[in-house]
Amino acid sequence: MLASILASGVAVGAIYALIGIAYNTMFSTSRVMSFTAGQLGMLGGVLGSLFVLRLGLPPIVGFVAMLACCALIGVITEFVAVRPVLKSLDQHLYVLSTLALALMIQQVTAIKWSTEPQPFPRLFELGSGTLDEKFWVPVAACLLTIIGLELLYRKTLVGRAFLAIAEDNFAARALGLPERNLRIASYALAGAIGGLAGFAGGQLLLAFFANGPLLNFYGFVPVALGGLGNNRGAVIGGLALGIFQQAANFLVGGIFSSVAVFCIFIIVLLLAPQGLFGSHVARRV
Amino acid sequence: MSISRREFTIGSAGLVGTSTLGLTRPALAQSEPIKVGWLAALTGPSSAPGVGFNRGVIYAAEAINAAGGVKGRKIEIITRDTQGDPTKAVNATQEMISQAKVHAIWGPTNSGESLAVTPIMARAKMPNIHPCVVDSLIDEKKFPNAFRLAPSNTQWDDAVRNYCLKILKLKKIAVIGDTTGYGVSAVNASVAGFKKDGAEVVYQANIDATQPDMTPDMLRAKTSGAEVVVVWSVSTGMEARMMNVRAAMGWDVAFVGHPSLSSGEIGNLVEKPANWEKVYAVGYRSCSYGADGKLAARNAELVERLKGKVNLSDTLLWWVTCGIDAVEMVAKAVEATGSSSSEAIIGHWNGLAKYNGYFGDYSFNPNQHNGYPTADVVMSAASSAKDGAFLLAPGYSG
Repeated sequence: MLASILASGVAVGAIYALIGIAYNTMFSTSRVMSFTAGQLGMLGGVLGSLFVLRLGLPPIVGFVAMLACCALIGVITEFVAVRPVLKSLDQHLYVLSTLALALMIQQVTAIKWSTEPQPFPRLFELGSGTLDEKFWVPVAACLLTIIGLELLYRKTLVGRAFLAIAEDNFAARALGLPERNLRIASYALAGAIGGLAGFAGGQLLLAFFANGPLLNFYGFVPVALGGLGNNRGAVIGGLALGIFQQAANFLVGGIFSSVAVFCIFIIVLLLAPQGLFGSHVARRV
Repeated sequence: MSISRREFTIGSAGLVGTSTLGLTRPALAQSEPIKVGWLAALTGPSSAPGVGFNRGVIYAAEAINAAGGVKGRKIEIITRDTQGDPTKAVNATQEMISQAKVHAIWGPTNSGESLAVTPIMARAKMPNIHPCVVDSLIDEKKFPNAFRLAPSNTQWDDAVRNYCLKILKLKKIAVIGDTTGYGVSAVNASVAGFKKDGAEVVYQANIDATQPDMTPDMLRAKTSGAEVVVVWSVSTGMEARMMNVRAAMGWDVAFVGHPSLSSGEIGNLVEKPANWEKVYAVGYRSCSYGADGKLAARNAELVERLKGKVNLSDTLLWWVTCGIDAVEMVAKAVEATGSSSSEAIIGHWNGLAKYNGYFGDYSFNPNQHNGYPTADVVMSAASSAKDGAFLLAPGYSG
């Protein structure tokens, strides 16, 4: 039972962590929590199944095509749902605009794809039981994403420009950084990360239009637990959430596991409102 | 003979009056088409049944009209695509009643829409037949115009329970549903039914249909000693995951339950075809192959007639036959009574005893508008679909 809890919990937790990173990547350059993050995860699974199973493309080609499509959806999100409301961030209009776009993505997928879950292809034909690829592929994808982001932020000029924008938007612009282009790039990157989450977890979650709200919801929890904008916090929060949720499934049953998850979530936020790994932010006066 | 201006005026007024009062209507009524409103979810989510029913409706209307109609009157099907949306169904119903002036309405074909439109049709005394399963949709006092052409939820429940207890002769039952309103109420009703009949419900659960791993609940069901797992869900993803987990656990237990267990989608989702074996879904005797691999003679002959005209490969035979029965029931009511008035059609349906339809032998009376015979609700081998029909599950005769 313990092996099953760990295998399934860590795999699902890695998917949640990746969605949390997608939230953070979009937030860092725009100060907007875009609720399209879960839909990007859903699209990763649906487009992966479409390209590989239905269109018969080789998995690697299907994977690259999926990443490109999800990056494009990320860019569209920036243009359609984020840029128009940036001037009035304090009114939180982005909640409505990004939720509206998320709903549109979900409905179009339901109509054009299917309202029933569709199969997702086996990628490597490796492993069985608790070592089956459906459990370790999401974990590997999460690890590679963290390493890739660390390299991007620490070793490249573009990555440092991202950090500069995230740290102080006004100062970065004053230094001549192309803030708008960097924001578009960060949304493309977030789109690809969200898509990767869905693709890597496709064998667990299947290619299903209704995965969007689920990932939106459970992907947000690690962000809140780990601290807004903190990718390491999101990964630890995501893995903890996955393991706790799966343990609750075993111990108290599926119908109560969501209740257990949100009880813990509320308790953590009451004790540490800034998240477990977030820092206190000084308020401008 | 001379006619005075006064006599001419009175005579003209009388002529206008009689035509306005309807004394000339019988001649008109005898030639006007019989208008059947068809509330169909033909597009959007949940449109698969609507598409299947529609094939039967079109086939029946064309067949009747090709044979000269009903006493010279053609059948005219007035279709409105409700897209499974109750709001659209309400608008379409009101349009059919007040503008299209239909003589009877067939549909809607899902319970959500039907719950919204049934009271509207009742107020207009509109003859209505539908195949929706929610029990409360049939109430002979509140909705004396509404007749059910398919089994109710209770009849499905009875069929599943009878199969587990009387045919499989198993007593330790696990009942699992999803967390939707339907899943929760269906599990509760099923558990109550099993307990009433003396069975031991050793495990009861509602699972979130999007839960990626069904191992926890399946493990608990196995540990509880369940001999059969009864499944009440419309989520094919959840059902396929349960079948995959059952195989991974090496648990030799039967799944019995909701018709969606036999959905073609499951064939794509199970890891191996063998995982879909020993799964029995609610089905219908009229649309099932017997041990000899053949349909009942009447429906075998129908399927022969449908070849080349109606595609059965991507739909269910019961949807098509039910659509045919619906149109024919309206036509036969008009033929028998010579009238297309609401009272005549409803009165005729209220007197039907073992009406020999393709989908079933329906019986109605003023106090019973659930017309489908419970004995004809059977279990089918879920993975045995061929031309929209299924093999009878093991244990049934014929």
